[in-house]
Amino acid sequence: MAEEYVVQMKGITKVYPNGIAANQGVDLNIRRGEIHALMGENGAGKSTLMKMLFGLEQPTEGEIWVNGEKVNLSSPTVAISKGIGMVHQHFMLVPSLTVAENMVLGMVPKKSGLFIDKKKAVELTEEYSKRFNLHVDPTAKVMDIPVGMKQKVEILKALVRGAKILILDEPTAVLTTQETSELFRELVNLKKDGYTIIFISHKLNEIMEITDRMTILRGGRSMGVHNTSDVTPEVISRLMVGRDVVLKVEKDRAKPTDEVLRVRDLEYVNEWGKKMLDKVSFSVRKGEILGIAGVEGNGQKELVDMLFHLNTPNSGTVTVNGENIIGLSQRDIRKKGVSLVPEDRMLYGIAGAASIQENIISDRCGEKRLNKGLLFDMKAIHEETDRLIQDYTVLCKSRDQRVDNLSGGNIQKVVVAREFSNDPCLIIADQPTRGIDVGATEFIRKKLVELSRSGIAVLLVSADLNEVMELSDSLIVMYGGKIAAYFEETDDLTDSVMGEYMLGLNHQTPDEIRRVCHE
Amino acid sequence: MNKKRSIIFSLVRGTAAILIALAVAALLIFVSSDGAGAGEKLAQTADAMRQLLIGPAFKSSGGISVKNLSDVLAAMIPIVFTGLATCVMFSANQFNLGAEGGIMLGAFVASMVAIYAPLPPVVLPIAAILAGALAVGAMMLIPAVLKAKLGVSEMVNSLMLNYVVLYFIKYLLNSHLADKSKGQIMSYPFQAHAAIPQLIDNGSKLSWGFVVALIFVVLVYLFMYRTRWGYSIRMIGINQDFAMYSGMKVAAVVILSQVLGGLLAGMGGGIEVLGRYTTFNWNTLPGYGWTGITVAILAGNNPAFVPLAAFFMAYLNKGCNLMSTYCGVPSQLIDILQAVIFVFFAAEQFLSGYRQKLVVKSTQEELKRAAQEAQEKGEVK
Amino acid sequence: MLDLILTPDFFFAILRITAPILFATLGAVVGEKAGVSNIGLEGIMMMSALFGSLTSYWTGSWFVGLLVALIVGVLEALLMGFFAFNLKTDIILTGIAVNMIGSGGTLFLVKVITNITEGKPLASTTSLITAVNQIPSWNIPLIKDIPVVGDVLSGHSILTYIAFLLVFLTWVLLYKTPLGLNIRSVGENPNAAASVGVSVLKVKYIAIGFSGLMAGFGGAFMSMYYAMGWSLDMVAGRGFIALAAQAMGGGEPLGSMLSALVFGFAQALSIKVSSKGIDSNLVTPIPYLVTILGLVVFALVLRSKVKRQHSAAALKEAEKK
Repeated sequence: MAEEYVVQMKGITKVYPNGIAANQGVDLNIRRGEIHALMGENGAGKSTLMKMLFGLEQPTEGEIWVNGEKVNLSSPTVAISKGIGMVHQHFMLVPSLTVAENMVLGMVPKKSGLFIDKKKAVELTEEYSKRFNLHVDPTAKVMDIPVGMKQKVEILKALVRGAKILILDEPTAVLTTQETSELFRELVNLKKDGYTIIFISHKLNEIMEITDRMTILRGGRSMGVHNTSDVTPEVISRLMVGRDVVLKVEKDRAKPTDEVLRVRDLEYVNEWGKKMLDKVSFSVRKGEILGIAGVEGNGQKELVDMLFHLNTPNSGTVTVNGENIIGLSQRDIRKKGVSLVPEDRMLYGIAGAASIQENIISDRCGEKRLNKGLLFDMKAIHEETDRLIQDYTVLCKSRDQRVDNLSGGNIQKVVVAREFSNDPCLIIADQPTRGIDVGATEFIRKKLVELSRSGIAVLLVSADLNEVMELSDSLIVMYGGKIAAYFEETDDLTDSVMGEYMLGLNHQTPDEIRRVCHE
Repeated sequence: MNKKRSIIFSLVRGTAAILIALAVAALLIFVSSDGAGAGEKLAQTADAMRQLLIGPAFKSSGGISVKNLSDVLAAMIPIVFTGLATCVMFSANQFNLGAEGGIMLGAFVASMVAIYAPLPPVVLPIAAILAGALAVGAMMLIPAVLKAKLGVSEMVNSLMLNYVVLYFIKYLLNSHLADKSKGQIMSYPFQAHAAIPQLIDNGSKLSWGFVVALIFVVLVYLFMYRTRWGYSIRMIGINQDFAMYSGMKVAAVVILSQVLGGLLAGMGGGIEVLGRYTTFNWNTLPGYGWTGITVAILAGNNPAFVPLAAFFMAYLNKGCNLMSTYCGVPSQLIDILQAVIFVFFAAEQFLSGYRQKLVVKSTQEELKRAAQEAQEKGEVK
Repeated sequence: MLDLILTPDFFFAILRITAPILFATLGAVVGEKAGVSNIGLEGIMMMSALFGSLTSYWTGSWFVGLLVALIVGVLEALLMGFFAFNLKTDIILTGIAVNMIGSGGTLFLVKVITNITEGKPLASTTSLITAVNQIPSWNIPLIKDIPVVGDVLSGHSILTYIAFLLVFLTWVLLYKTPLGLNIRSVGENPNAAASVGVSVLKVKYIAIGFSGLMAGFGGAFMSMYYAMGWSLDMVAGRGFIALAAQAMGGGEPLGSMLSALVFGFAQALSIKVSSKGIDSNLVTPIPYLVTILGLVVFALVLRSKVKRQHSAAALKEAEKK
């Protein structure tokens, strides 16, 4: 009976040094040859659980059994030796090394005992690439290959090390609809060959499509295992959060007025000579949410960087309420009324070791109302911080708590509390709900709608198709550094139509696109 | 982990670091003592340790030694300033190690003003000290601006500057400014009214500079925790990208932190030399800069704890001097002690197993409390 | 002035002066490739210099002395690694501690062990050392007879030749061996290395151990060839100049060697200049000033290279149209 399960995790508990209990008494049973989904909001403990299965972390309590034997997965090497492979969400590749070198890292074929046998490495890469139908270029440097290929390298890396159990951590996060279909075909093939797949994802529709069974985690505990055929998306959501997840965003029709952000003919060539922005022009008006959709890597990141002077365009103009913001410091850009919810909140959004209070006032520390002469007005600062913590329902012990002790969703709430509250006229929200729990996601989306209806212009950049389609009033699709489409209304948009534009299979006429300039 | 447990943990860790350092010291003393057998060696070691730990505070007859203690307080003065300077610079994540050369330059410039400037009493020492501070603040512009504008390592630059300052001063002293009538190399004597008056007249050289040092501890603390500039320095030290994105002027603050560090180190040099000496006769780098680093680390970069850390280091230093005088143990032991203490103190994983236990305990208590509250409210989880 | 410089023994001096810096520089290069910033090279050089010289004095064999210097260097570096990697002390602070022990600790040991420095402000073991304790030089047969070139290249300490040979060996290590692949991976993306079972900890220890080995060579060179015996302040910042050379060399063995030669040149020049009677205090700081200038020049060059890439790429795109 035990042999039916290729992996069993029994009573797993994990407590981190900073006090966070990531998993509590979790049981996970994976049948041989199935595609098993591991679901849950962020902070539910899915990643942690899989890290322990791959030997990257050790459980504080509990047992792990693989193929009927109890194992101590003390390191990835041990996990690999048991036939477990992991494809990480953030690729575990070394940029300056070639694909072949990355493939054989840790198991390098040797020439005369001392030197790397480069030829053998390339041959091995090609052999596996053919066998599993995952096309990669062995001699290209990893930093030069596209995202889809990087993921294929990751899968091949696991397979070449003898993995029969594959853990995929949010694999479709960076793929287009087409690439996702391709991936699912590959997974089904692997399943036919007897491989077992554990699939971590948030995306309900994908889970329904490809998996056999699912285990749902909530707050570090397991909410049980279900056959995919026995449940609906609504049931799953209720198990994940304890109520129906609102998939549709309630909002009234937008009534946009004056133009706030004007971007015209923005061009940018990156350090490798690739044109990332090609005559991009659009406007965002008061009272509307303009979404920017597209597969990551088509210029969205560069566009946001231009708007906040994290990078400089080669040519083009960007004005806010008629005033130029190119080349201005972040301080001056903020003075013009621009706020940014950054994509990488740990890098830009917060100072992890600082307190919630210190993080929340970072953009206004020099303002007169918070200072009394040379010194801070601590009373005013405390009041403002407390008010923001309350208004944005940040769950914390005190305003002096270290901000990186909070969960991802609460950290993001601190970030938006700051960015939304200093009277902006333009809010740029870049992946605002990525990697955070449903509750926080809902709150932030509601807030964005509320602020836009109060007269603020909102530019929403999101790789989450659902979010960018449901939250935006109008949206543009970016492909290859250009605007491929502008949709004034999003009500009747379908996934496949979006997919076409996002993959460059379709492209609107210049006249259709120019409508987003509202001239 | 709650606050009380956090403080207990820090204390335990600090004590452990110090005990390890003392054990290392005892071992070295034991091994290097010239006693005949193990027994004699042990006796000598015990003697030396007594000098080290108790000597600075107590006379050998058993009573409190005011002289020794005032020596310790006087020795605190320069390292409070270099400690404050390092706190400010390290808080901005600037590994500027130029406090060493800075304090020497400050002392030199102050000395020159004290010798040659035709200024009246009270004004003269203040002007000398300010001149020293400004000179070093200006010098720190070099590594600071190069770091801010070109990204050049402020660490290597400041280390190079230490050497440059040393030889620059030696050159000037050698060639033009030395009092050739004296046997050793030293400058002409300061004007009498340049000296900072003493707090106690017992040869300890505990001058009013001590009070000035404490005043600056308060000022620097207020600056770091109650002003927007100190806040910017700290935020930039924690996450420079975040600071820039939030609108702080990173380059200006990077420069400010190092210039401020220079001002403080320079001031320390001026106060030390005018409070303790009558001429300038420093021939090598004095070592106060490195001790200042130890002080900053022990203080956790928090100015409020600098006096305590400085007192501790000065106490140990006095102990090592006494050991050297009475037991023949070379006084360089203090360098070894310092290094061991701060390398353990700054080790985040030191005693991490113990910390993990405290954390787990705290978490379990919280869960219990939450469950109790929920029960009281009538909900069942 | 030029006739001062264009002499064979000036170039000989450059190579001789560069060698110890070069050792430390190679240590910094390999360390940085693995993401390990060893700023304690200075302190390790001091310790190795002392132990090497003393051991050679006690055993009468320079070879044993050299061996001990190397072992001391490696051990000290591994100890640094323990504090930096296992106890998680910031590696910069650990390096500072090593330097403190290097300067105070060596003096302490000398006073205790030899008792010859009691009461003297400057300490050295020069009185103990004779030629038999020093590392021998090698007059390369055939080459030594070539006019000019022979005078420059032959007759160096065997360590000098080893230093320059090591530049090539370091390059081979980094780019042709599996260990080198691991080192570069750990330095660029330790998570990637760990995920395929490369022990990040082990690789970092190897890298820091290598840097300690190099510093051991450098220290031995100073006390057992460059000067007679050990004296306080003999390393005089070479361990820090090595960090600058590594940075200026783009972190690569060849480039860093060229940078180290620049500093060697500066110091050789300053010695030549001071022999003309100028106060040594004016001349000694020249290499340190050159280091600062060198770092500035390098940063400026790097900056303009990036700018040129940007505009060149933009031009290419414009031309395509």
